[in-house]
Amino acid sequence: MALEKISRRELMRRVGWTAGGLTLGAWAGNLPWTPAALAQDVPADASQAFDPSVYLSIAEDGTVTVICHRSEMGQGSKTGLAAVLVDELEADWDRVEIRQAIGDEKYGSQNTDGSTSIRNFYQPFREAGAVARQMLITAAAAQWGVSPQSCRAEAHQVVHRASGRRLGYGDLARAAAALEIPEVETITLKPAFEQRLVGQPLPIVDLDDMVTGRASFGLDVRLPGMKVALIARPPVVGGRVATLDSSAAEAMAGVQVYTLPVPEGAPGFQPLGGVAVVAPDTWTAMRARRALVITWDDGPHGGYDTEAYRQTLEVTARQPGEPVRVVGNVDHALEGADQRHEADYYAPHLAQAPMEPPCATAHVHDGICEAWAPTQNPQAAQSQVAATLGFEVAQVTIHVTLLGGGFGRKSKPDFIAEAAWLSQEVGAPVQVVWTRGDDLRHGYLHANSAQHLEAGLSADGKVVAWRHRTVFPSISTTFSADAKAPSNGEMGLGLADLPFDIPNLAIERGEARAHVRIGWLRSVCNIYHAFAIGSFIDELADRAGRDPLSLWQELIGPAREVDFGEVEISNYGQPLTVHPVDTGRLRRVLDATAEDAGWGRDMATGSGLGISVHRSFLSYVAVAAAVTVTAGKLRVDDVWITIDCGTYVNPDRVRAQMEGSVIYGLSLAFYGAIEAKDGAIVQQNFGDYRVLRLHETPRIHVRLMPSQGLPAGVGEPGVPPVTPAVTNALFAATGERVRELPLSKAGWV
Amino acid sequence: MIAFHVNGEAVRVDVDPEMPLLWCLRDHLQLTGTKYGCGEAYCGACVIHLDGEAVRACVTPVAKASGRQVTTIEGLSEHGDHPVQRAWREENVPQCGYCQSGQIMSAAALLAEVPAPTDDQIDQSMAGNVCRCGTYDRIRKAIHRASQEQG
Amino acid sequence: MPSARHPSPRRRPGLLGRFSKDLLALIVPAAAVVAGVGLLGCAPNGAKHLDSGEPLQPPSAFAAVADDAERSQAMFAEAARVLLHPRCVNCHPSDDSPRQLDSSRMHVPRVTRGTKGDGAAGLRCASCHQSENLSFTRVPGAPHWQLAPIEMAWFGKTPREVCEQLKDPARNGGRDADALVEHMRTDPLVAWGWDPGADRAPVPGDQNTFADLIRAWLDTGAVCPPDTTTPGAAS
Repeated sequence: MALEKISRRELMRRVGWTAGGLTLGAWAGNLPWTPAALAQDVPADASQAFDPSVYLSIAEDGTVTVICHRSEMGQGSKTGLAAVLVDELEADWDRVEIRQAIGDEKYGSQNTDGSTSIRNFYQPFREAGAVARQMLITAAAAQWGVSPQSCRAEAHQVVHRASGRRLGYGDLARAAAALEIPEVETITLKPAFEQRLVGQPLPIVDLDDMVTGRASFGLDVRLPGMKVALIARPPVVGGRVATLDSSAAEAMAGVQVYTLPVPEGAPGFQPLGGVAVVAPDTWTAMRARRALVITWDDGPHGGYDTEAYRQTLEVTARQPGEPVRVVGNVDHALEGADQRHEADYYAPHLAQAPMEPPCATAHVHDGICEAWAPTQNPQAAQSQVAATLGFEVAQVTIHVTLLGGGFGRKSKPDFIAEAAWLSQEVGAPVQVVWTRGDDLRHGYLHANSAQHLEAGLSADGKVVAWRHRTVFPSISTTFSADAKAPSNGEMGLGLADLPFDIPNLAIERGEARAHVRIGWLRSVCNIYHAFAIGSFIDELADRAGRDPLSLWQELIGPAREVDFGEVEISNYGQPLTVHPVDTGRLRRVLDATAEDAGWGRDMATGSGLGISVHRSFLSYVAVAAAVTVTAGKLRVDDVWITIDCGTYVNPDRVRAQMEGSVIYGLSLAFYGAIEAKDGAIVQQNFGDYRVLRLHETPRIHVRLMPSQGLPAGVGEPGVPPVTPAVTNALFAATGERVRELPLSKAGWV
Repeated sequence: MIAFHVNGEAVRVDVDPEMPLLWCLRDHLQLTGTKYGCGEAYCGACVIHLDGEAVRACVTPVAKASGRQVTTIEGLSEHGDHPVQRAWREENVPQCGYCQSGQIMSAAALLAEVPAPTDDQIDQSMAGNVCRCGTYDRIRKAIHRASQEQG
Repeated sequence: MPSARHPSPRRRPGLLGRFSKDLLALIVPAAAVVAGVGLLGCAPNGAKHLDSGEPLQPPSAFAAVADDAERSQAMFAEAARVLLHPRCVNCHPSDDSPRQLDSSRMHVPRVTRGTKGDGAAGLRCASCHQSENLSFTRVPGAPHWQLAPIEMAWFGKTPREVCEQLKDPARNGGRDADALVEHMRTDPLVAWGWDPGADRAPVPGDQNTFADLIRAWLDTGAVCPPDTTTPGAAS
């Protein structure tokens, strides 16, 4: 593939190894080797004869280059999108190179967030491939003096059916380039049965590099003369340096100290400020930072205490909120109900904690800034870096490396702006390294949330009324000091779009101020909304003396497209007419999962089955969990997960994402909690911000629903139903209801 | 000056003896396949072999490597075809790939000592390696596969 | 930075020597009850041992206890402040995994003893723990860092139970009295308890005083304290 591959022998040569051994100093002032990151997205050279799309070019030697403008962080869309294009192009997968795009608005949205890569670019990438295929056919037909209709594309060649004549794509590239690009509407896409790559399991293109250590992530970027920086950031968001004694740090060889600007206004993507140490290497930077003596002025959030704030959220959740969606009359229905049931749920802050912490390398020189970073959003990075430096956007180039995980953290380019600012000050390339502690202490946290639910049950156990009030600090608070309640977009993440057939429904939000930076985390508000909804249904089933599965089925109701009336549903940026909330699909994944899990079977004492289903990112996912509780400790034995994500490109990666979603969901359900005391984050590392490990991993059974529907999200929608499936299973096993996360707090794990 | 071997090659480095081997490899020897994930031995992204034993490079002072053999992911096999690496490809284990160097080095150390590990033994040996993408199920399968293939 | 986790001082009854022998019978159980409440309050498993932080009393402090057996018991109870301290019991588990911190939480990552007490293949204790403490990363270390054999499990045990174990060669590593004292006085892994590095609370006193207590306890008949005795409670 396009990424530069360096054999070990070659690496050794470049590093300057000799048989007798060699002394190597820090960086040594010379560039030992060029990481793959540096080789990416070089401008199309003369050999790229034919480039009918920003996503594609074909060289005269026949090499097809696909530009991946989306960030690759493990979800596999780099391979998937290329496969979509190459399939439609009818090109040979083995003659394809993939180049990672720089940030540039010409590519369209590069914000690799919201599980959008395939669902938003499946069609454009098909069209790019089909347009190029048609142009190659037209070029060949002209050369042969035959009609294009008498030719077809096949395996990197155009074939004239009647004569059997053939011309390779490379031979046709120049001629094709001279043609006018046809209108997309005139192009015929392959029918599904002719697709060769789409729908088939395909190894990811970076697989070989990943198992040999050659894959180049953000932290692997090495530039000549590069320095390494660590930053002591204010422990409290909005804090600033009060006093600084940097003498011990500056006494270290090669160490310089810089005080970063104090951010203004809402946090946005600005660097947090603080004091940077710039050193010859990472270890020196780590030691130097520890040698800084700083006192901080904590600012207005110095009193933030998550335990106290929880009370604030819960009080608000029990008071009338602002209605967002109302059907019928809940109060009236509750009065007339045979039984009423209430429950309050709480979920704490979370950190995304990708394995590769935030990091970035920047080089400001000659009036431009080049940066290399594991970013989910290179265009936002470009804008923020320009703003931080006082540059025009055109002066900033963002190279996207492989991401060692993202989960939403790397959508925010604050860390890239830090590197850019420092490089400008230092006058040399600077790599900013975030330690794990930095990642946990200075993140954009998943909101903590309190939810209050009330329902009325009829005498025959039907749900006749449902009130759901959600309270959490909005992500909007990160961008606007005035924001004080969940946005409509956030309400649409698994709550306002509640798909149930309930005659009296009230969905409300309450106000909450933020005291930390709030940000996206894999599936965002769907996590706590699905936890509350999934748990509450299980509670109602118990209250009504019913099988939970039957209540789920009844609430989902008959197969239909849910009518939301006048209420605007954000629906992940898609019109409901195109991506309706389809209860038939919801029901199918639920039933399939129940069947796979053997719902209704007898379980041993101390064991239980739980189930939950949730639509998010336009996909439908059901999860069932089997758990065993021994001496008060929970073990998740099996998880069954079914997804209907419409048309899928690479079933192996969809499966991988479901497996990963189960692990991510179990991590947050078991252990996930970020706490603040006196405004500062308590958690320091994976010792106190625990995540799931291999020995805690259940058997995972994935089922993909065959579908001809439009592609929908995959990276995120697996996460939300995991937690309620597990806590419902815990209830089935023990009769103990969990209304607060994580499970470790009550000692279950 | 600290002298040791990395992937069979002799090196001498002039660095702080307390510098973790991780940073010596990454910053001074340009071997970036060994990853930083936590710096305090919680996550295993930096697992390498020191005289054949799996160690966490982030908490191993470079002085401890003096006179010893260091093997990193880059040197685990000549052609990237160690049975564990082959099995990792067959099972399509990696997602983001960041933790996989450490996972592979831990798995290779396990199989070197326990050629046919049980699930329980895999649990015990791999509990020190975190994967946030959640590839654990495939890691387990790949270890069993590597075990069978190395016979 | 993590805050220091030193245990808060707790009032203890005065030195045994200040009381008459007759009073001792009354005071020991009373002190045990007081201490027991404290223990129950903070550690359901009986694992967490909050030491007073007061100096470890040498054998001479017990000279006023005329009865050898009672003196032996009292000195062992004092030594148990070391033996049952989290720095020691965390790696003397009664299952296969060590504990860590003053809270004696399960070790993160989960590690297991393996066949030789030094960890599993690929995840040895020495994979992370060096032969000395690391100041920057706070990883503790000492020579031959490993778990005590399962027969030497002390975690969650009472002073009396540990006392009985120490006297039993099958459960003390096959040591006679001299070897036991020698081990307590000179072993570098035992010594680590007094120099645990970072912000960890050390075990009380010093290694020689501890070894002297063990010696004196052995020399006074190695009598084990009653079941109800808690560490240091008899002093």
